[in-house]
Amino acid sequence: MIAAPSQGLALARDEEPAAAARTRITVKGLVKRFNASGREFVAVDDVSFEVKQGEFVALLGPSGCGKSTILNMVAGLLPRSGGRILIDGDTVETGKVNPRVGYVFQRDTLFPWRTVEQNIGYGLEIAGLPKTERAGRVASAVEKAGLSGFGQSFPRMLSGGMRQRVALMRTLILEPEILLMDEPFGALDTHTKLEMHKTLLEIWERERQTVLFVTHDLGEALTLASRIILLSARPGRLKEDFDVAIPRPRDPVGVRETAEFGRLYSHIWHSLGEEFRRTRAD
Amino acid sequence: MSHSRTVILFWQLAILAVVLVVWQWGFEWSKALLPKAYVPKILDPYFIAKPSLIWQSFLRLGCFSDAAGFTACITGSDNNLWLATLVTLKNTWWGFLFGSASGIAAGLVLGRSDFLARVFGPYIVALNSIPRIALVPLVILIFGLGDLSKIATAWLVVFFVVFFNTFEGTRAVDRDQIAAARLLGASEFTVLRTVVIPSALAWVFASLLPAVSFALIGVIVGEFIGAERGLGKLIIEAEARANASEMMVAIFVMMFVGILLAIAVRSLQSYLLRWQPQFEH
Repeated sequence: MIAAPSQGLALARDEEPAAAARTRITVKGLVKRFNASGREFVAVDDVSFEVKQGEFVALLGPSGCGKSTILNMVAGLLPRSGGRILIDGDTVETGKVNPRVGYVFQRDTLFPWRTVEQNIGYGLEIAGLPKTERAGRVASAVEKAGLSGFGQSFPRMLSGGMRQRVALMRTLILEPEILLMDEPFGALDTHTKLEMHKTLLEIWERERQTVLFVTHDLGEALTLASRIILLSARPGRLKEDFDVAIPRPRDPVGVRETAEFGRLYSHIWHSLGEEFRRTRAD
Repeated sequence: MSHSRTVILFWQLAILAVVLVVWQWGFEWSKALLPKAYVPKILDPYFIAKPSLIWQSFLRLGCFSDAAGFTACITGSDNNLWLATLVTLKNTWWGFLFGSASGIAAGLVLGRSDFLARVFGPYIVALNSIPRIALVPLVILIFGLGDLSKIATAWLVVFFVVFFNTFEGTRAVDRDQIAAARLLGASEFTVLRTVVIPSALAWVFASLLPAVSFALIGVIVGEFIGAERGLGKLIIEAEARANASEMMVAIFVMMFVGILLAIAVRSLQSYLLRWQPQFEH
């Protein structure tokens, strides 16, 4: 059995950044209440956690547990009903964008009237970077995303996976230190998803951004994350918090054959199962 | 089943030929063949002229068959076909330009502001309920018989069409796209310029094509009611003299003007909306 939180586990800690890494994201006593047709319900109930520099944290939970709501509050897209959120010690203000933070949506939010290059270069363009300087960075981002030859294409000409690569690069080109991702691969088929995992692992293992990644896909969380925060069904509460000690560099197919993957998979599976049964019982 | 271009073209030309032949000779033939009571009045050249007469009127009005020569005719007469077309086209263009520009601006402002949309909403609905043609005499009273009243009439017709579409288009912008732009560092104005306007453009253009026809209608109606020059004036004068062939000349020129304007708008549209599947080259 795994204790929660899992500090007691024997983990390959040397795979992750030094334990003294500074805290980038602090969530303390976070509460979110919604009003739906006159009735108030609690979506997020007293959630607290911290994300340290260079951690890849997956926020895992059943649908409707409020994990995307938490992410949106961290991004400042949604006002919170209670609690505090700090990024690098500064309180997050709703509606105010933090330039250190990048955000990737689940839904396709590419600008359909812009080509792949124009989409990727959007952030640099509106920041006023000169065209020549922009072109070089965009070209290397297109290359990195494996989209060579598609720079002049419009999004509708691309597959779902390619579009999500463009969206990823549109965010990454601004070199955010903190990356918030809201089920970015949720709409993709299994094969494309694995390819995207490979791309993201390569980028992250090279650049080590601080990542908060929302997903309901257990395999995805185990493949990518260095730490998993498990949420309960509605209202979202912190259920478990543990490290994923699968060595890096990881391969999205190879990880599935490690003992750690199997062990954590079955543990979380049972833990999530309780939550699903709880939702049904409601 | 797909037919080759030649087959399509053949049938198109065949229909044109039949129409022209019936128009030219149909009345004489039916007079010769049918009892008097059954001769179709609609084919009477007194009402609808006939292609050969229209052609002659075209040559005359267009200064091609003038004894004094082409240049002397154009500079000499006040309301020849060329001048009339130029005046109508010019007024249509300015009416369309002002109407669509102000319609787009108002649509964007009200589309982005719930407060203004709610304040002005009832007024816009009320004004839009007035048949625009009813206002034409008033417009002429205010702006006189010159070009200004024609431009104002076209503006009246174009403004509301473009306004409503721009308003709806602005309302339909994907909120996640706006959020994405903000998260990438866009200010409120940058969001308007780089997300709202390009996204609403498809809606705007959907209205510009009818708007350009409406502008032409507005100008012509204005010219009917009171004008010194223009194609509409030409028609009214021809009507006074019961000259059907001159009217037909003006009508055909309007047809060509309308087609040219529509082509101009459409090519601009397919360039600006080339990211949409239906405009793929």
